[in-house]
Amino acid sequence: MTKHHRHLWAGLGLGALLSFSAPVMADELVAALKGAEVGVSTYDMLKAINSNVASTLIYDPLIEQNANHGYVPALAESWEEAPDGLQWTFHLKKGVKFHNGVDFNAQAVADWLAMFKGTDFEYYLGAVKEIVVVDDYTIRLDMTRPDPNLLYNLSTPFGGVMEPGARKADGENYGLTAAVGTGPYKLESFAVGQETVLVRNDDYTWGAANATNTGPANIERIRLREIGEASTSFLELQTGGVDMLLGVPQEFLSEAAKLPNVKLMTMPDQEIWYLVMNVTAAPFDDIRVRQAAALAVNRQAIKDNLYGGAGNTPSTFMISSLPEEKVADQFRIKFDLDKAKALLDEAGWVAGADGIRAKDGQPLKITLWTQSDSNFRRVTEVIQAQLKDAGFAADILTFDSATIRDQYKAGTHQAAVRSYFYDSATILDWFFGGDRLGYPNISMFNDPKAEELRKVAMTGSKTGEEFTKNFIAYHEYILSQFPFAPIYEPVGNIAFNADRVIMPETINSPVFQRAAIMDLKLAN
Amino acid sequence: MMRWIAPFRSAFGRPMGSVAGGWLVFLIAVAVLAPVLTPYDYDVQNLANAKMPPDAAHWMGTDEFGRDLLTRILYGARTSLTVSTVSIGLSLMAGLTLGAAAAYFGGWFDRVVTTVVDLTWSFPEILIALILVAIIGPGTTGTMVAIAVAYLAQFTRLTRAQILSLKSETYIEAARSLGASHKHLLFRHLIPNALAPVLVAAMLATGDAIILEATLGFFGLGAQPPTPSWGAMMSSGAAQLFSAPWIILLPGLALTLTVIAINLFGDALISALDIRTKLRDA
Repeated sequence: MTKHHRHLWAGLGLGALLSFSAPVMADELVAALKGAEVGVSTYDMLKAINSNVASTLIYDPLIEQNANHGYVPALAESWEEAPDGLQWTFHLKKGVKFHNGVDFNAQAVADWLAMFKGTDFEYYLGAVKEIVVVDDYTIRLDMTRPDPNLLYNLSTPFGGVMEPGARKADGENYGLTAAVGTGPYKLESFAVGQETVLVRNDDYTWGAANATNTGPANIERIRLREIGEASTSFLELQTGGVDMLLGVPQEFLSEAAKLPNVKLMTMPDQEIWYLVMNVTAAPFDDIRVRQAAALAVNRQAIKDNLYGGAGNTPSTFMISSLPEEKVADQFRIKFDLDKAKALLDEAGWVAGADGIRAKDGQPLKITLWTQSDSNFRRVTEVIQAQLKDAGFAADILTFDSATIRDQYKAGTHQAAVRSYFYDSATILDWFFGGDRLGYPNISMFNDPKAEELRKVAMTGSKTGEEFTKNFIAYHEYILSQFPFAPIYEPVGNIAFNADRVIMPETINSPVFQRAAIMDLKLAN
Repeated sequence: MMRWIAPFRSAFGRPMGSVAGGWLVFLIAVAVLAPVLTPYDYDVQNLANAKMPPDAAHWMGTDEFGRDLLTRILYGARTSLTVSTVSIGLSLMAGLTLGAAAAYFGGWFDRVVTTVVDLTWSFPEILIALILVAIIGPGTTGTMVAIAVAYLAQFTRLTRAQILSLKSETYIEAARSLGASHKHLLFRHLIPNALAPVLVAAMLATGDAIILEATLGFFGLGAQPPTPSWGAMMSSGAAQLFSAPWIILLPGLALTLTVIAINLFGDALISALDIRTKLRDA
């Protein structure tokens, strides 16, 4: 048998195996995760860099957000803040159990909160001086200073309450082979980069009130598949391989609408695409070059032509629904090719016959990093062309999404096209904090004034209003230094097979997560 | 030189060989002449003109960035042909050298080469290529090196087998007894006589290399944008499969025709050289 024959038989065998694997079960929802949620490496929420909808099903937070970004009780049935902001008291729900049968109580919460120390999420509790167990179902946080963002921090997927004993016992395997919360679903299996299978927690009766159904969930089993390529996931929906796409790229919307059994819905999203520049690497160590690159990005053209006019054209680093996005107009980054060219002229970069600029005999050449999935490559190729219009010769370098973070840590990059998914102003601290250089601070931005403003924003706000004001000041300063250029703010598109999935009439959460799935049903 | 041209002429003389060879000559010609054949630049975007179906202005339509697809396919042929021929050329040279040396000198050197080659032979070429691209980095150079290494085992094994069988031929024994040097024996007698099946294998491997280059391009690891590559064009076309199917279909068609042509011409060459038995045995 030749080598080619061996490959052929191996391929046929594999194909046959795959075609008989993963049968669709009657009471199983099969959903493809949206692109931004593909690639979660663990369900240990204090080690995870990103999260997906599964984490909101395994873990309950103390507090949840509703569709209007208001807070609703989850594992904490009520809470109060001392008038001076130096104490928070949470009253916990009774009768709640973790998936492993351990009682949920104030001590469990205290032990879980203690685990934040030394993790990337330590800043969530940065203002907490002491965690006090008042009684079995009351916990108090004594603060060094008021923290108006505490409730938000506790309501994110990273604020999902993990069972401290299980996390400790499972060590490095926690989040991969086991994940124990109090949520409506238990983790059955997790194949990194492939799929997560969840089974219903039949004891669950304590769901947050932002869903009509407070438990148990309607669907017995959920299989969340990670399909990197949008065209593949769309074909899977078309052929019945998945019941639902939690993210539908804009280019497939018109085709999805033509499918007789498929329905579409739109939800707000929390994603921003942006071009990040390494401020320590030439030529981006010159602020005029950074500003020129930022002004050369034509957001409207990208929105209109790549995304069919859907979504927003951001001019800051934040999603448009955040109050901290409302910076003064002079700080907003807007497309202005003439000004971009003038800035490069001023910086000594002279346009050559081919349009590419040069200075002291050196061309204005940069390397633009991106990830290998098609959406990243598509946006990056447009950015490459738009930068060329200003005189940049940008070479694209593509990395696998799993390895690119390690590459950033080496600090050799010049510029990259990226996206993030978050709905709090503290994202500035995450991506531009001087103590997070390399990754997540890919811009390597470490400016004394920014650090001062960051400190004020992160630790000096007593009220929500002050928080917003301080973060606007921090945001404006970052914008004035051009370590990045906003590209696109998408809307969330969800497609589902209406023969299989009964969608709730209203979804009372900011994005499609736990509350929506609690009210979701499968057709018989 | 005539010794090597004759089989190609003979292959062209066969019906399938003439059709396949004709396509390959045509492809090489349009790839070389692309700048004068098309009025469009392969890299200039016109987003307002994106995903236009084929018409009089754009015979194969435009891609998702409004670029003329025919232009990109022509320039993509340059990438495919350059990467595949350079990488297979490198692989062939290295494989010939290693295989001939291993077979001729034998001993520990032969054992080391055979072990390493057998080890790499047991892995699929795509796996070796992906690992190497991950190490070297994506791009045309990385792709060429990766493909060259991936096919090295094939040429080394084939050359070694040929030289081993030729080594015991009477005319080689005669030359050796007349005092011929190693260099003379290898370059005057052994390698020239072993070359025919190796060259045909290289021809066939070029088709595989085009597919491998397209595969790496499909994953974004081959030639980097805006340099056109058929694989990368198909990859970006996959996202437009329903709204603009020509973006994936036409580069795919070019790829398919080219690989079929290479294989058919390779078959014609095998018949012309009458080396089917030698190839099978090797």
